[in-house]
Amino acid sequence: MKSTYLALILVLASAPLWARTTPEELAEHPRWKALLHINQGTTWRYQGRSYIDDPDFFLHESGATDARAELEASIEQLRSSESEARCDFPARYRFLSQQLDWPDDGALSHCSEYQEWRGAMPEERVALIFPASYLNSPSSMFGHTLLRIDHGEDEDGVWLSRAINFGATVQGQENSILYVYRGLFGGYPGYFSNVPYMNKIRDYAHLENRDMWEYQLNLDEQEREWLLAHLWELEDIEFDYLFLDENCSFRLLELINLARPESGLMNDFRLAEVPANTVSSLDRAGFIESVDYRPSKANELDALVKQLDATEQDLALALAADHAVTEREAFRELEPRRQNLVARTAYAHLRLQNREGERSQAAAERGMALLRTINGTPTVSGIEPERPVSPEKGHGTKMLAAGGGMLGDRGFGELQARFSYHDWLDNPDGYLNGAAIEAFNARIRRTEGDDLTLEQLDVVNIKSLAPRNSFRKPVSWFVNGGLDRRFIGEKRHLTRHIQGGPGLAWELGPVMPYAYAMARAENNSAHEVLVSTAAGARAGVLWYADGFQLGLEAEGLYYHNDDRRYRPSATLNVPLGRNHALRARIERDGGPDRAETEFHLSWRYYFD
Amino acid sequence: MRKTLLAAALVATSFGAQASAPGGSGCGWGNMLFEGNDGMPMHVLATLVNGTSGNRTFGITSGTNGCDTSGALSYHGENMLAQAGVMEEVAQDMAVGDGEALTALSVSMGIPAEERDHFKKTMHENFSTIFPSEDVTAEEVMANIQKVMNQDKQLASLS
Repeated sequence: MKSTYLALILVLASAPLWARTTPEELAEHPRWKALLHINQGTTWRYQGRSYIDDPDFFLHESGATDARAELEASIEQLRSSESEARCDFPARYRFLSQQLDWPDDGALSHCSEYQEWRGAMPEERVALIFPASYLNSPSSMFGHTLLRIDHGEDEDGVWLSRAINFGATVQGQENSILYVYRGLFGGYPGYFSNVPYMNKIRDYAHLENRDMWEYQLNLDEQEREWLLAHLWELEDIEFDYLFLDENCSFRLLELINLARPESGLMNDFRLAEVPANTVSSLDRAGFIESVDYRPSKANELDALVKQLDATEQDLALALAADHAVTEREAFRELEPRRQNLVARTAYAHLRLQNREGERSQAAAERGMALLRTINGTPTVSGIEPERPVSPEKGHGTKMLAAGGGMLGDRGFGELQARFSYHDWLDNPDGYLNGAAIEAFNARIRRTEGDDLTLEQLDVVNIKSLAPRNSFRKPVSWFVNGGLDRRFIGEKRHLTRHIQGGPGLAWELGPVMPYAYAMARAENNSAHEVLVSTAAGARAGVLWYADGFQLGLEAEGLYYHNDDRRYRPSATLNVPLGRNHALRARIERDGGPDRAETEFHLSWRYYFD
Repeated sequence: MRKTLLAAALVATSFGAQASAPGGSGCGWGNMLFEGNDGMPMHVLATLVNGTSGNRTFGITSGTNGCDTSGALSYHGENMLAQAGVMEEVAQDMAVGDGEALTALSVSMGIPAEERDHFKKTMHENFSTIFPSEDVTAEEVMANIQKVMNQDKQLASLS
């Protein structure tokens, strides 16, 4: 309904009728609101006014809160053909001259800096870039988004494209608590930046080992013109950066919405802007033309390793450490094409090892020698990592579940709500295997003959399994904080806890075994001390089969006061389409005095 | 007025607040092979400070990690090679005979699409001439590429 209305306005907007429109009506125009970055109820903060406080962005002193006053000031200052303000606000000028039928008086021809910039900027195609989760880094687990603007003449030249990025600017070094606080609740200024796209490829795909998804958008020439002209207006303009909603992804949505206001992208309230959701919003609104996948360097190495047998893998490892290995019989006996693969694997490994830190002369010499070996052997082409399911095809990031089961001999019913995002037994399509990030995950339970009780509340629960092989040796880890229940003596007590630890994981086809060491600090009403501490271990195996995910796990904890907790469990998840799943779990939980077996079956529904 | 600084650098590298030295320190990556803009391993530092490599938590403008090179549009070969880490990609692509970085180099040098395969093949065959050692600079590589092109019938007219 709302979008029909918008479309109607737009149709009217293009008619000369609007030339005689009143300022009141013009100030309500969707594009004018988009140009001023007015919050039309999309996020909590600053509703009904501009997101921007920076006075440089407004021509009227109360422009941030008064769209009409800003409109009138803009009309006044942009009308004259010599207007300098036109050069700062080319998109606004474009809007007003179209709406008010201003005569063509040379428009922006006197704006030499803008013209020079536009002449140098590409403008043929626009893509949304989604560097996906970064294995083992929680803060990037949601991913990031940026825009890429391409030169049109050549589709192969994306290395020469420009990247438009919105990010917070952190000055100097701050302690990380403050960093997180300010990032979440405001305090960091955010700016748009415009850098060579090849730098972004380097940062993400090469340095941080993140796969990149590149979504070509179908913006037409007029729409791209709006976007580029407006980008110029945003140069050096300060926004607030908020991690949850007003973040990198949200600002890009605003830009795309400006290019096509009738898309209705900003119509819905957006509580938190997760990049995967941004992509699916664009997909639903019909913006996405095609999807490209750019694997990370680590995945490229893995693809090469998969081509080699065990002996060749050992050779590649030895070769990366010492080029004299090429003189060994084992290497010389290989047919030239196999030599090429071994040398490329060695080189990819060496580079991954040396991707950070100071240049080492020894590594450089070895690298160059390897390139010569590669150059001197016939190239085996077409070795590319398998393309995973793209992130926008994944399950919804919010979840509700309803279920029931038995704890000991008592039945219970349970409701669960999870604000975000993915646990490692949820349907893995579009997500990273072995990575789990859950925030505000609550379970409320009613047991027979009992009141409604809070069973669990994870404020945050992050688990990262980074598989190890001969070439890569990452450390896995997990951290979890919130409330859960456990037997202390005869009774199940609610405990406030924080726990975590480092671990190791491996990948054997679809199966991932893992083991963690863990420490836990908790507060509960049964222990006399304020904080009880415990140490223990957790080990298990994940199986990503076709059609289901299975997790087996055992955990043992030893408390400082000799209390103990054991918890073996088995969980089966069966996805039913993209946004539904059935989950069955059997778990034994308890200590030396009392333990119970729980069986639990639930229906999970993912949305948003 | 406020545009002056930006325009000076054409499509300047960063709209962001702080200027970074051209070629900046702090590009830890990509200089395994070649001396260049390596400088201090800022990425490691960033990891310690933020728990994430490269300040990506909140998507910092890349100005902050000093990885911006001035190079304006970097739309001809030499500028492109001078970007931290790019020469390394080009070297790898030339050794193998194909790749996006090599393609981009040919585009940036104005090699027409129909000549690109031949260009790549020629670069591949002359890898050792173009990259004689790990101590070569971007300027030398560019000069070597020109030399190789001049000696090739088809490419001579393009260089």
